[in-house]
Amino acid sequence: MDVKKNSGIDSHHCTQHYEVLQELGDCYTSVGNYEQAKHYYERAALLGPDEAGPYVGLGVVALQEDKIDDAEIAFKVACRLDNACDKAYTGLAMVAQQRKDYQKAFEMHMKSLELNCDNITALLGLFQTSCQMGSFAKVTHYLQVYLSMHPGDISVMFSLAALYMKDGRLEQSRRMLKDILTLAPSNRDAIDLLEEVERALSQMSQTQR
Amino acid sequence: MVNDGGEDVSDVVDSFSDSRIVFINRKENKGKAFSLNEALNRAEGKYIAYLDDDDLYYPHHVETLVGALENQTDCQVAYSDLYKTYCKVLPDGSRQILSKIVEISRDFNRFFMLYFNHVLHVSLMHHRDLIDKTGLYNEQLNILIDWDMTRRLVFFSDFYHANEITGEFYSPVEGSDRISVLQRQNEGEFLRNLLAIRTKRPAKPWPKLEDLSIIFATEHFNKQAGQSVSSIWRYTFYPYKLYLPISRAEFDRLKIDMPNVVFVPVEPTSSIPQRIDAALAVCEGEYVAVVPNGLPVGEMWVEKPLHALINSRTQREGFKLIGSTDDCWAAVVRKGEMLSARKRFPQLSVPESLKAAGVVLREPDFEELPFQFDDLLGCGKSAARDGRWTEAAEMFEYAAEHYRNELWMKTLAARCFYKAGEHIKALKLSTQVNARRPTVDTLLLEAKVKREKNDFSAAIELLRTAEQILVGDSESCFRVEVNRSSS
Repeated sequence: MDVKKNSGIDSHHCTQHYEVLQELGDCYTSVGNYEQAKHYYERAALLGPDEAGPYVGLGVVALQEDKIDDAEIAFKVACRLDNACDKAYTGLAMVAQQRKDYQKAFEMHMKSLELNCDNITALLGLFQTSCQMGSFAKVTHYLQVYLSMHPGDISVMFSLAALYMKDGRLEQSRRMLKDILTLAPSNRDAIDLLEEVERALSQMSQTQR
Repeated sequence: MVNDGGEDVSDVVDSFSDSRIVFINRKENKGKAFSLNEALNRAEGKYIAYLDDDDLYYPHHVETLVGALENQTDCQVAYSDLYKTYCKVLPDGSRQILSKIVEISRDFNRFFMLYFNHVLHVSLMHHRDLIDKTGLYNEQLNILIDWDMTRRLVFFSDFYHANEITGEFYSPVEGSDRISVLQRQNEGEFLRNLLAIRTKRPAKPWPKLEDLSIIFATEHFNKQAGQSVSSIWRYTFYPYKLYLPISRAEFDRLKIDMPNVVFVPVEPTSSIPQRIDAALAVCEGEYVAVVPNGLPVGEMWVEKPLHALINSRTQREGFKLIGSTDDCWAAVVRKGEMLSARKRFPQLSVPESLKAAGVVLREPDFEELPFQFDDLLGCGKSAARDGRWTEAAEMFEYAAEHYRNELWMKTLAARCFYKAGEHIKALKLSTQVNARRPTVDTLLLEAKVKREKNDFSAAIELLRTAEQILVGDSESCFRVEVNRSSS
């Protein structure tokens, strides 16, 4: 997490050491070294006691280690420290998903996207939750918004194509899948789904005749 | 080592059992300048370096600066870069390190050093015998004591800038507890010290600086003249002497306590050219500025045209002072050319005689003005404050290309490009800086972009190096720099 609340060229006088520790925590999380990640997040929390970042990191590590209760506590601390921290709400949504509380997961993902519509984890989480709940109306909007900001994001394009298909918007789905295959011609998921969409379109055409 | 009336630390000093430590243990507090002079009077080494009690040398500090002075035979003064260490003072008195930033890494600039200090004393080393020329520290000053000395050093030597970080000094974020910072908050005292420093002229010869004579030309020394002279004292930072060609009666009426004023007695009925000629006959500067009564005098009033003249390679060229008009003529020229013009055309007015002698007067072009780098730096910082990050980054990049101070400017540009979301440019610049002289700042920036590119092992290596510097593993800092410079 970047500390963005300061501004100006010399604004990081108080946050540089914190940023180094937080970045180290994030890097070790990414390579799966959770012990080191926790070590650095805990030190970052000491230097930035008002920052949500280290607690988001600790929550992510706890999730990876299947310590759902610890993860929930960490994400709640992060929310309390910064109630505009979208990543903390994403974390709470993932905790709810683990507990199969899809309604809560959906709400938390939505809250996260309201704070930051650029949060890809929340977006894909919302998509997953929607699939689990069978409700797609709200997620389509967020996927479209995200895609307008990141036009080449294949994972989001694929999610949207799948949603269009489930929603019966087969032509839109086909166009999206063809766009994916232009960007990544060997994308297996897109090839398979396109076959499915083409089949459905063909059946629809025969029925209409 | 001087204990200036502080807590007795004899037991600590004795524990070193090192005959090289000369310990001046005084119970009475006599101030920094007195203490420095006391130590200088006993110092025997070829070189002098300074260290305050709350600052830190890295292990290679002395080696770096001695090496620079031994190799750079033109320079008798060398300095390095330092981290400014921002910290929080905890209730138990210990310091929690928040950041270490090289805030200033300015290449030597004599003109700027005359205006204000850009070399921290902890980073300074000079030949001991230069003190014989500069004189000792001024014990009448209570702030800016170190600048007073570095300013005097520029009269005698160039400074070599060793682009290495060789130490650090502390800055508590809640407000500095440094005596010098606290004393600086008194504006009157600050101005008194500033003027004392700016008007200090060490004994000649000055191998690295040419003198300026200011001739104040007025037929009557009235109230307006008094204000003008006072403004000259307040605003002029280039070393000068002020020549007052006035009558004995007028001079006796004046109560001038301004330093560097030379009374040139003239007849009360003397004309302006006669007064200028009288002053010219005795003035000692390589440059002469003629200033009429009524000329507006403010910041940089003489330094802008003087800077252009000092750097001009054209013979018979002079520069008009800011505010000069036909009725209020003011200019700065080379003394030799002025003398020659007056000798050949004494019957003419001063501007006419210069013209007749072929001395062309003009206003300085923009690129001839001093402090262009500082203006650009100020604009860049202002743009950054307003969140115009790309604009700021481009200004710093331009400064790096055209005004030296490369590592410093590239670091600022990298930081701004990152803030602007132009991470590839930030990566390129921070990598360049890290290859030559890594700092916590640029290591962090490079690591952030590497992490974004999923190059986690490289990011971790960079961040761990940054962390080592932050926690004060100065041996590691040293190794990092040596390893990187050798690679």
